[in-house]
Amino acid sequence: MSSTTTSTITAKAAQGFEPRIMAFVCNWCTYTGADLAGTSRLHMAHNVRIVRLPCTGRIDPLFIIKAFERGADGVIVSGCHPADCHYSVGNYHARRRFAIGRGLLKFFGIDERRLTFSWVSASEGKKWADVVNETTARIQGLGAFDAFRNLTEDWK
Amino acid sequence: MARIGVFVCHCGENIGRTVDCARVAQALGELPGVAHAADYKYMCSDPGQALVKQAIVEKKLDGVVVAACSPHMHEKTFRRTVSSAGLNPFLCEMANIREHCSWIHEDCEAATVKATDLARFMIEKVKHNVPLQPIRIPITRRALVIGAGISGIQAALDIADGGRDVVLVEKEPSIGGHMSQLSETFPTLDCSQCILTPRMVEVYQHPRIKLYSYSEVDAVEGYIGSFTVRIRRKARSVDESKCNGCGECQKVCPNRKIPSEFDVGLGKRSAIYVPFPQAVPNIPVIDRENCALYKGRARGAKKQACGRCAEACGRQAIDYDQQDSFVTEKVGAIIVATGYQLYSIGKQQEAENLKGYGEYGYGRIPDVIDGLQFERLASASGPTSGKILRPSDGKEPKTIAFLQCIGSRDPAKGMEYCSKICCMYVAKHTMLYHHKVHDGKAVVFYMDIRAAGKGYDEFARRAIEESHALYLRGRVSKMYREGDVIKVFGVDTLSGEPVVIDADMVVLATAMRPQPGIEALAQKLSISYDGHGFINEAHPKLRPVETNTAGVFVAGACQSPRDIPDSVAMASATASKVLGLFSAEELEREPLVAHIDPALCVGCFHCERVCAYGAIEHKEIRDKNDNLIKIVAEVNSGVCQGCGTCQATCPSKADELEGFTDQQIYAEINAF
Amino acid sequence: MKALQELAAKLLTEKTVQIVIGYEEGPRGVRPAFITRAEDADRLVFDSRCVQNLASYLSPRRNHLVPLGKKAIVVKGCDSRAVAGLIRETQVRREDVVLIGVRCGGVVRDPAADTTLTPDTVAARCAECDIREPKLVDHLIGDLPPAPPVNRKRDELIAALDAMSAEERWAFWQAELARCVRCHACREVCPMCFCERCIADKSQPQWIESSAHRQGNLSWQFSRVLHQAGRCADCSECERVCPAKIPLSLLMRKTSLIVRELFNYRVTDDPSVPAPIGAYRLDDKQEFIL
Repeated sequence: MSSTTTSTITAKAAQGFEPRIMAFVCNWCTYTGADLAGTSRLHMAHNVRIVRLPCTGRIDPLFIIKAFERGADGVIVSGCHPADCHYSVGNYHARRRFAIGRGLLKFFGIDERRLTFSWVSASEGKKWADVVNETTARIQGLGAFDAFRNLTEDWK
Repeated sequence: MARIGVFVCHCGENIGRTVDCARVAQALGELPGVAHAADYKYMCSDPGQALVKQAIVEKKLDGVVVAACSPHMHEKTFRRTVSSAGLNPFLCEMANIREHCSWIHEDCEAATVKATDLARFMIEKVKHNVPLQPIRIPITRRALVIGAGISGIQAALDIADGGRDVVLVEKEPSIGGHMSQLSETFPTLDCSQCILTPRMVEVYQHPRIKLYSYSEVDAVEGYIGSFTVRIRRKARSVDESKCNGCGECQKVCPNRKIPSEFDVGLGKRSAIYVPFPQAVPNIPVIDRENCALYKGRARGAKKQACGRCAEACGRQAIDYDQQDSFVTEKVGAIIVATGYQLYSIGKQQEAENLKGYGEYGYGRIPDVIDGLQFERLASASGPTSGKILRPSDGKEPKTIAFLQCIGSRDPAKGMEYCSKICCMYVAKHTMLYHHKVHDGKAVVFYMDIRAAGKGYDEFARRAIEESHALYLRGRVSKMYREGDVIKVFGVDTLSGEPVVIDADMVVLATAMRPQPGIEALAQKLSISYDGHGFINEAHPKLRPVETNTAGVFVAGACQSPRDIPDSVAMASATASKVLGLFSAEELEREPLVAHIDPALCVGCFHCERVCAYGAIEHKEIRDKNDNLIKIVAEVNSGVCQGCGTCQATCPSKADELEGFTDQQIYAEINAF
Repeated sequence: MKALQELAAKLLTEKTVQIVIGYEEGPRGVRPAFITRAEDADRLVFDSRCVQNLASYLSPRRNHLVPLGKKAIVVKGCDSRAVAGLIRETQVRREDVVLIGVRCGGVVRDPAADTTLTPDTVAARCAECDIREPKLVDHLIGDLPPAPPVNRKRDELIAALDAMSAEERWAFWQAELARCVRCHACREVCPMCFCERCIADKSQPQWIESSAHRQGNLSWQFSRVLHQAGRCADCSECERVCPAKIPLSLLMRKTSLIVRELFNYRVTDDPSVPAPIGAYRLDDKQEFIL
């Protein structure tokens, strides 16, 4: 992250914008890693809401679109590291799907900084806290994702 | 309208300290579809669970959300609770407001809002939950054990003694594995064959064990409880039903100069051979590569080039035209116990990522041998009848350098792991050497001495203190032959001094690696393996003998380097898992599996391509006149593990994963 | 042309097939022809106006064609990639169709408006065509015409879009998608859109709003394009038939560029080459993952 981005982020964060972030995580690694963060009492930003799925392989990029439609300012997708997948290879298939989906979303004009993809293992409670904090700070800097939300708003 | 009950747990102060549980319950109680909302100090306690049960009955709830700790902690508890009150257990969901909320936030207001959100998601989800029934799968109560080394033998005997039939497959002509090659075993120095041979015979004679030696698993289909296994019986060129193991054929074989695999090249065998005298079964096999008759056939010679063994056989058991044959066995569980091979030290390596030790001259200097070769030298049944004689000139070596961690713990050579047994067997080797050559000097180059185990450290100390082995902490940089000796250049890092040893023989304690072909076997079984080819266990701590494919278990050194007691313990553990599985006629499984709607499926089979378990089958849809309409994908719920990758891949969403359906996830996102 | 007509007549006379699907002159340029009688075979034409991807008629969803019997279709190189896709995804069995390949010198964008092939009228996909002589065929017709004129405006526009800020790209696509009337012609014409029930028609849950509104329009095109990743034959039929003139082939082209960059994969006319979705490599790119 460049220094200018960091400073704008800090500036906007100071205005007290609380982003709403949705996280799609796998049950076996990241969800358990987030449990460990809790057990270790690692304090983190309160902006993230987790949706538990069995595997990153279950995550359809449509979930991301729907989350933005429903007013998410950012989305986190997280699962097992390569070779750690509880289901052997679900994360490899997911990785390809995310790589393409991310490129397409970017082409449609969705700022890719609103999307965080991470591998967080069951033992990486600290990393999960970092992912949550870093994503929250980044999206605080970007501000609310009104463009997407307005698609819904002006329809209603 | 749904009638959902919401139960907010304080978890003592754990949740209540940061989350205003009463306010959460009150807010949730006002949501449409919520018929009951309550908070309580300890929801998982007996009175807490009683509250849940009471509400289910009194308020006629059709769904339950418990906002408490992680579902990993208490989902099972509350599903049981709900079930005991007469509600289907899969109509209960948990919202994690402890690990994911109260424990990680300090701001009470924010935490309360978040807890309400998290519970609200689950309320919306549970409205779309449907009652699910456990899946019942009939079990073929018969096990396949792949590999008949000590692990496979132990597993087979335990299962057979437990009253279940076993099919045991061994790719070598004899069972026994590497243990049959060992001289003595640590830390007791009892003779390996003396303790192993009776078990081998027991396997052979056991009425419940069907042994296929010189055979390999060719194909595996099916799933837990119902595997169909095709076994290739390699052509022995000897009719097993006729041979009585008299050994006359071997005496007349003209080619007797073939390096013996059993003696790791230190001894010789004939082209028709039994690997070692105590082999089980005691039936020879013809090594077609080295047999004059087959070599003649390969050349296209019109006349039969040899045939002496057939002439010598009094029972007409030799069958030169025997072909590989296949048998099919039905089993309910599979144990993989394929064991290990030693890292080959020479410069030439079969795998790309491995690098040999050209600097140690293995293969060039005849007196540089590996650990298994030393075992054969020390073995009373070995090529030297147990005398320690060096291969080059048959002289008794007066100084032997033992080098530990050859390949192991060396990322540069492709293996960063510890092979675990080398410290102990090198200590054993120095003791055996001392016992046999009293004035011999053993010098050991080591990195660390890892002697964790019952009696192990004491054993290693004895090597140093009683057998007077000289242990030098350091590695050897190079060695070469100079006259009659091998110059070994090392370093003693504890004194900081370089060391040069004039050794008569060098023994390399090389890394343990899984057997070649393990990847292909693992793929047949749909089980995963690590970068080295070792089979992955389902969980490194809590499910160490299961694999990620239900009904397939793993024992012994094919999972990671391990010694005999560990292998035997692991084998017995797999046997107890298998016997446990076989204790019922049917298997009950959580019904969180995928289903495909045949009306919507167009049979593009993207799902099949992403399924790691081979759970997708092809099903023909026919009209009433039996005309084929289309071929669709169907999930075998016995095999499906419920990852849902197929569902995310299905373009038309004909596929649904129970417990995580599109409806349920949509509802969660929609509640955002 | 003569060779094509003779072959079609022969196939019909000898009852190798019951229908030959090719191109004929229509009131508004060249249109698909469905020839069931040998004497009608002389209606068949092939030239640079034969834009349509006839592989669409192989899709099992076009079940009104099934009663007509075994089909022969005329395929250009680009179309043969769609045929390969249908075979790869078990929608068509190779032995159930006779493929009449035509050597192609490029086609125009719009068969109704454009009659000659110029740098302005040539279809965007012809610029990097590597398959002017189709290989997945039973018969191959015609001599190889000269290479088509080159027009790289589509790739230049993609590069220009990539260079924009996210907000500018968003504005661009919102302006385009605002015109979408959700007629789903893009889907109906696509040979690779062969689902029984499209996700856009799924109502429980309704991932994609079904009314013509920018919210659903975005998620619809996103889903459609994502489902085509590594499968799209780049025939640009979706763009040609779009009544709202939304530049859909920009999306398809961009996706194929993404797939190419990520997985070094190009959609091929070889049915035995697996598609990139449904496969994976241990060392797939993952720089974007923390």
